[in-house]
Amino acid sequence: MILSYGASLLLSLIIGVLMTFIFVPSGNRKTAGILLRLFGGGGLGIGVTSCTYFICLLAGVDRYVAAVDLALGLVLGSICFLRRGKSDPRGQAGLSPGKTAPRSRLRDAIAFVFALELVAFALSLIVSILKEPHGRWDAWLIWNMHARFLYRGGDHWREAFASGLDWSHWDYPLLLPLSIARGWRYAGGEDVFFPAAIGFIFTLLVLGLLLAALSLLRSKPQGYLAAMILMGTPFFITMGASQFADIPFAFFVLATFVMLFLSGRSPENRAGSLILAGIAAGLSAWTKNEGLLFALIVTFIPVGMTAKAGGWRRAISPAGWFLAGLLPILALVVCFKTQLSPTNDIMAGVGPAAVSSRLLDWGRYAEIIKAFFITGISFTQGVIDIRTGMTLNPGAVSVLLLVLYLGLTGVRIEERDRGSTLQVAAVLGLMPAGYFLVYVMTPLDLNWHLMTSLNRPLLQLWPSAVFVVFMVAGIPRETFFTGGKPAEALSPKADRAFPKRRKGRKAKE
Amino acid sequence: MADFFKRYRAEAGVILLIVLTGYAVFAFLVESMRIFADLPEKDPVTIHEARIAQLKGSLPPSGEVGYVTTVENDRIFAAEKAFRNVEYLAQYALTQYTLAPLIVRNSPELPLVVGNFLDGPPPPGFLERNGLVPLRDFGEGLILYRREIGR
Repeated sequence: MILSYGASLLLSLIIGVLMTFIFVPSGNRKTAGILLRLFGGGGLGIGVTSCTYFICLLAGVDRYVAAVDLALGLVLGSICFLRRGKSDPRGQAGLSPGKTAPRSRLRDAIAFVFALELVAFALSLIVSILKEPHGRWDAWLIWNMHARFLYRGGDHWREAFASGLDWSHWDYPLLLPLSIARGWRYAGGEDVFFPAAIGFIFTLLVLGLLLAALSLLRSKPQGYLAAMILMGTPFFITMGASQFADIPFAFFVLATFVMLFLSGRSPENRAGSLILAGIAAGLSAWTKNEGLLFALIVTFIPVGMTAKAGGWRRAISPAGWFLAGLLPILALVVCFKTQLSPTNDIMAGVGPAAVSSRLLDWGRYAEIIKAFFITGISFTQGVIDIRTGMTLNPGAVSVLLLVLYLGLTGVRIEERDRGSTLQVAAVLGLMPAGYFLVYVMTPLDLNWHLMTSLNRPLLQLWPSAVFVVFMVAGIPRETFFTGGKPAEALSPKADRAFPKRRKGRKAKE
Repeated sequence: MADFFKRYRAEAGVILLIVLTGYAVFAFLVESMRIFADLPEKDPVTIHEARIAQLKGSLPPSGEVGYVTTVENDRIFAAEKAFRNVEYLAQYALTQYTLAPLIVRNSPELPLVVGNFLDGPPPPGFLERNGLVPLRDFGEGLILYRREIGR
C-alpha cells in the first residue's frame, strides 16, 4: 500500500516538475533552481493530477487513473526531451562559469540554525499529526469526508453533492478530496495516514517553495530567514497537521506570486512563467472558494497596472499567457460549480434587500474591523478558542515581527522587480479587503463566522506576505553575510538563474 | 550611538529575527514533546469511528438512515452556533464520516435510525413520539432503531 501511495505522489511530482521544464526551460541548475522546480512542481503536479482524476471520474474511467497519469507523464517527458534537443545547452544550464557564492561563518551559522529549526519544525509537525491522525474539525467534517464519498461512492460518487448535507459544504472545490481519493484509488484501499501525508507534504512544499524562491531571487540567507519565520508560526504547523485545505491554498497563492516575479525577471521565460502562474491561480480556485476571488484579483490587477503604465496593447500579451494557464483549470471549476455543486451557504443568503441592509449596518463594520485587528496580530499563534473568544496574543512570531524587521532593514526594491512587487502587493492587499466584504455580507451569524474562520484566510496569505516582505527588505550590508568578502552572492542573481537563451547562443557562436 | 544604530540596524533585524523565530520554534517543540509524552493510545476520532463502525453490518451500504441523540435534532446545530456545545455536532458529523457513503440525515423520520447517546439518554418521550423501536443495542449508547410509521 505504501508503494502505491508513493507511486501516486511520485507521478504527481514528475508531472509537475516536467511542467516547470516545459514552461520555464532555461532555469538554474544550482541548488535553488532545482529546489524551486521540485517544490513548485511538486505542488502543481498534485493539483494537476487532481484535475486528471476529476476528468477520469466524470468519464467513468477512474479505475484507470494510474494509466492516465502515466500517459500524461510520458507525453510531458517526450515534450521535454524534444525541446531539450533543440535548445542551447548553456542556456539550459543557466550557469555563469566562475561565479560562486562566497561563504562565511555567519552564513554557515544561519544555515546551521535553519537546519536545527527545520528538524524541530518537522518533529513538531509529526507530533501534531500523531495527536490527531484524522485531522481537526474541518478535516473530517469536510475534506476527508468528501474524499471518502468520492472513493467509497463508486459509480454513484455524484450523489453526495445532491445529498442535502449542507453542513458539510458540498460546494467546496475538490482539489484536496480528489488528491486523497486518487491516492486511495492507487492503493486500492483507504488508510487514515494518507490524508495526513498530503497535509504534511503541502506544509513542506510551502516552506520549500518560499526558501527556494527567495534563495533564487534574492539570496540564500534571505531564503533561510523567511523560512524561519514560517517555521516559527505555530498556527502554520497546526494547520499543516490539521489536514485543512488552507495550506494547499496558501501554496498555490505563493506559487502564483513566485511565478509572477520570475516572469518579471526572465524575459525569455516570461510566457512560460505566466502560464504556470495562471495554472497556480486556477488551482487555488480548485482548492478553496476564496481562490475564485484570488483568481479574479490576480488576473485583473496586473493587467490594469501594466495597461496604466504602458498602454493596453502592452498588457494584452501577458494577460493572454496568464489566461492560457488559468482558463483550463477554471473550466473544471465552472464545470464542478454548475454541474455538481449545490449553492454556497453564503451566496444563498445574498439577495439585494439583505445585502443593502448589511452594507448599511455600520455596527458590522466596527465588529469586523475589531476582529481583523485582533486576529491580524494574533493569528500566527494558533487556533482561536471559541469558548474564550478572540484575545490579543502576538507571540514571538507575528505580523509585528515582519513589520519590525522591515523597519530595521529598510525597503530596497530593485528596478526590475518594481512592477512585479507593486502588482503582487496590490493583490495581497486586496485579498483581505475582499474577505472583509464577504464578512460584511455574510448571512451567517457574524460573530460565529468571524470567530470560526477569520484566522485561516489570514494564514492563507501569510507565506506570501513573508515572501513579499523578504523580496523588498533591504539586505544587510553586503559584508554581513560574507564575513567581509565582496558579496557577489548577495547581488540578485536572476540573470544567472534565468539567462537569456539568445545570449547563450551568441556566446556559443 | 545614532550612527552605530544606523550602521547596524539591518544586522539587528536579522539577529532579532533569528532569536525570536528560534524561541518560537523550540518552544513549540518543547510543547509538542510534552504532548507526545501524554498522547493516548488512540485519538478520540479513531475511538468514535471504531464505535460507530459496529453499525456497518446492520445497515445498507448506501441509501439513507436517520439520526437521534441526547438532544432533539434541531438543537444539534443550534448548540454549536451558540458556542454552547460542539459535541453533539461532532458526534453527528463523525457518524456520517464513518458511515459514508451511506447518508446520515439529522432526522428521526427515516425507516432506520441511528441512536448515538454518548452524552446521555434522549429527552423523555422523544423516541415514543417518533415511533422509534430498538432493533439492536451495540452498547456504549449506540442503538439502531426501526421507525414504525403511523404510531
